[in-house]
Amino acid sequence: MLSRDEAGVVLFTLEVAALATVLIFPLALAAALGLARYRGPGKGALETLLSLPLILPPTAVGLLLLEAFSRRSALGGWLAARGLEVVFTWKAVVLATGVMSFPLLVRSARTAFEDVDPRLVGLARTLGCGAVAAFFRVTLPLAWRGVLAGTVLAFARALGEFGATVMVAGNIPGRTRTLALAIFHDSQVGRDDRAVVLAAVTVALAFAALWTTELLSRRLGRRSEE
Amino acid sequence: MIDIRVEVPLAGPDLRVEARLPAAVTAVMGPSGAGKTSLLEAIAGLRRRARGRIVCGDAVFLDTERGVDVAPERRRVGYVPQDAGLFPHLTALGNVRFGARGDGGRVETAIDTLDLRPLLPRHPASLSGGEKQRVALARALATSPRILLLDEPLAALDVELKERVLPYLMRIRDEWKVPILYVTHNVGEALALAGHVLLLRDRRVEAQGPPLDLLSSPGLSVEAEAGIENLLAGRVLAHDAAGGVSRVELQGGIPLSVPLAATRAIGTPVMVAIRAEDVLVSSAPMPGLSARNVYEARVEALEHTGIDVTLRCALPAAPSPWLARVTPAAVQALGLKAGQPVWLAVKSHSVRLL
Amino acid sequence: MRALLFVLLGLLSVPRVGSGEEVTVFAAASLADALEEIARAYERSSGNRVVLNVGATSDLARQIKAGAGADLFLSADRAQMDGLTEAGLVRDADRIELLSNVLVVVVPSGAPTRIGAPADLARLGRIALADPEAVPAGVYARTYLEAIGLWSSLRDRVVPTLNVRAALAAVESGNVDAGIVYRTDAALSRRVRIAYTVPPESGPKIVYVLAPLASPRKGAALDLARRLAGPEARTIFEKYGFQVLAAR
Repeated sequence: MLSRDEAGVVLFTLEVAALATVLIFPLALAAALGLARYRGPGKGALETLLSLPLILPPTAVGLLLLEAFSRRSALGGWLAARGLEVVFTWKAVVLATGVMSFPLLVRSARTAFEDVDPRLVGLARTLGCGAVAAFFRVTLPLAWRGVLAGTVLAFARALGEFGATVMVAGNIPGRTRTLALAIFHDSQVGRDDRAVVLAAVTVALAFAALWTTELLSRRLGRRSEE
Repeated sequence: MIDIRVEVPLAGPDLRVEARLPAAVTAVMGPSGAGKTSLLEAIAGLRRRARGRIVCGDAVFLDTERGVDVAPERRRVGYVPQDAGLFPHLTALGNVRFGARGDGGRVETAIDTLDLRPLLPRHPASLSGGEKQRVALARALATSPRILLLDEPLAALDVELKERVLPYLMRIRDEWKVPILYVTHNVGEALALAGHVLLLRDRRVEAQGPPLDLLSSPGLSVEAEAGIENLLAGRVLAHDAAGGVSRVELQGGIPLSVPLAATRAIGTPVMVAIRAEDVLVSSAPMPGLSARNVYEARVEALEHTGIDVTLRCALPAAPSPWLARVTPAAVQALGLKAGQPVWLAVKSHSVRLL
Repeated sequence: MRALLFVLLGLLSVPRVGSGEEVTVFAAASLADALEEIARAYERSSGNRVVLNVGATSDLARQIKAGAGADLFLSADRAQMDGLTEAGLVRDADRIELLSNVLVVVVPSGAPTRIGAPADLARLGRIALADPEAVPAGVYARTYLEAIGLWSSLRDRVVPTLNVRAALAAVESGNVDAGIVYRTDAALSRRVRIAYTVPPESGPKIVYVLAPLASPRKGAALDLARRLAGPEARTIFEKYGFQVLAAR
């Protein structure tokens, strides 16, 4: 059904999406917690900034990333001098998918954290928990459903990322070609039949991801209610 | 000894409290919005913008002048909010154990004090209001706190539950030797538990002192609540198994027959609770009555509470007046008015031993 | 209110240039600048309007096969035009082999890279090519590298781009070490330097083919096609560095 190269593309896509999700997870939770609790000045601006990848065209985000990490930029040059190439490598794929998925996880996690009664956190503090311990022992266990949903959403988004990825990572076979990029390439070179097969694989993957969440959410939810 | 001189910024006027609390139990009372909960939160360390000085025994919680502001997790304060605030994702046992630092001993004692053994594997969602309060109390106690802060612990409970949980509070006071700050609207609870009362109004201290002084002096407005209205202190005198009663001597030498309570040793102090509506009022002596407890009294005041009328009646030698509730029709029929001599009757069955 | 609406609608329907026909031209990316100049001159003299859609020849051919409304197609190689001919979208008799070009290896302008012979390409890091699987510029480059036996060692370093101008941009940005583009593209950019010119004799035969689409076969389209093959256009093409093949 799938050629060896195509199977490689599927595996690569899964790996990259998983890595991106894992990397953004702590950052997104921290951001979500901050947004849920912080009430000071500049909060609105921060919220908007963190949501930008959601509303900007992915190609615009990709372009910004390309400018920021290009060998000619300050950051890109600094990294290149240390042997770290980002643009046109798998690292750029992780970067692009991570950036695009980040706001999705932040949103879900933030709503979940806001739903946790802050008095319970205060109580945990009086019972001897520091701020960090209170997060892990009270906030997170009570918010896990929203965090899980956000994580799966972020993963699924990472699986399908195209616009930003193609800009900053290119469509290099065996190096940066994800499923979405492979579908595009196949259609560009007139192999529509393979493009359709790969598209079907994407559908199957997304379905599996969402179904697993449903299952997990229900099974874990049931156990904690006993 | 708890020494408080604190200022807490709030929505509206700031809370400003200056108080020295000498007793084991201090009742904090006052109308809604007076700042009672905020005071507790400030002592617990949950109000990070509080300024001033809070000292609990030999522990300094807050001393703004010296730059001391201990984080809540290091103050070792046991805080029980009004609705218990149990963690829904943990069982009762999980909740009780939450703050205990490897000290299994304290946990077990707390569980036993509050009779929680059968409740341990259950989740808060399946517990009644009274059970939740007991779990929350045990949870606070299990951390070996320096001080207990209870925010209207009985407010969400109906009368029967109140009467069931109150003894646990007394047990805590007597057996755990932990100072308690107890926010309540209920005069009866304050009288039953506290050695000192702190009255707050409009974010300031209106008065502080011994409970009987504060709560009986006119001009001080305290919101009393329908519920256990007659809470009387006394001592077990004798048991009469054949007669089915025990005899208690209340403060002032007033005798009271209560349902047989042979488990209470003779001479032990007790608290008895009599509902105002269980006190019968007569304008004439009542011979041949089945009720064992009949007393002469004088009506001090009549107060309309809702549809009914509450009579404040002074008994000779009793330290505080008794409350009796009757219908307006009864008031009219008997021609009740202030200063009138009356006879009060209470069935022993209407008396609850705490 | 309604009067305003009618006025707006009226304004929208007025064509920009005169009241002539509209000709849609799909053309290889490397022709962008030259065609722009030729098209504007044509518009001024004919009163017709030219819509120019430039991109990778393979991508454009795909769009035409899928039904995109093109009147003229200027392909950067014979293969893509053959595809349309086989599909019956272009008549063989209408094809004109118009231009040729030369491949060059470019490097970022500040780079010290020296390429004396093709074998020196093996020293390069990343090389940008228009997608060597389908885009003519990339296919030419691959064909050349295969012919000199360097493709197998270089293919892992290839960064395929959407079209030849994207390959040029990649070199300009410094994110790749070199790129293989047309000489006409390199001439337009100050941010790249030609490090090696593929000798036309040993390189692949680059042929740009022009043809009108079999349908709708507008008069204006045929007119523009004639102009593209004419002397004024020739001057402009040569100015940009294309070789004009002997007209049919």
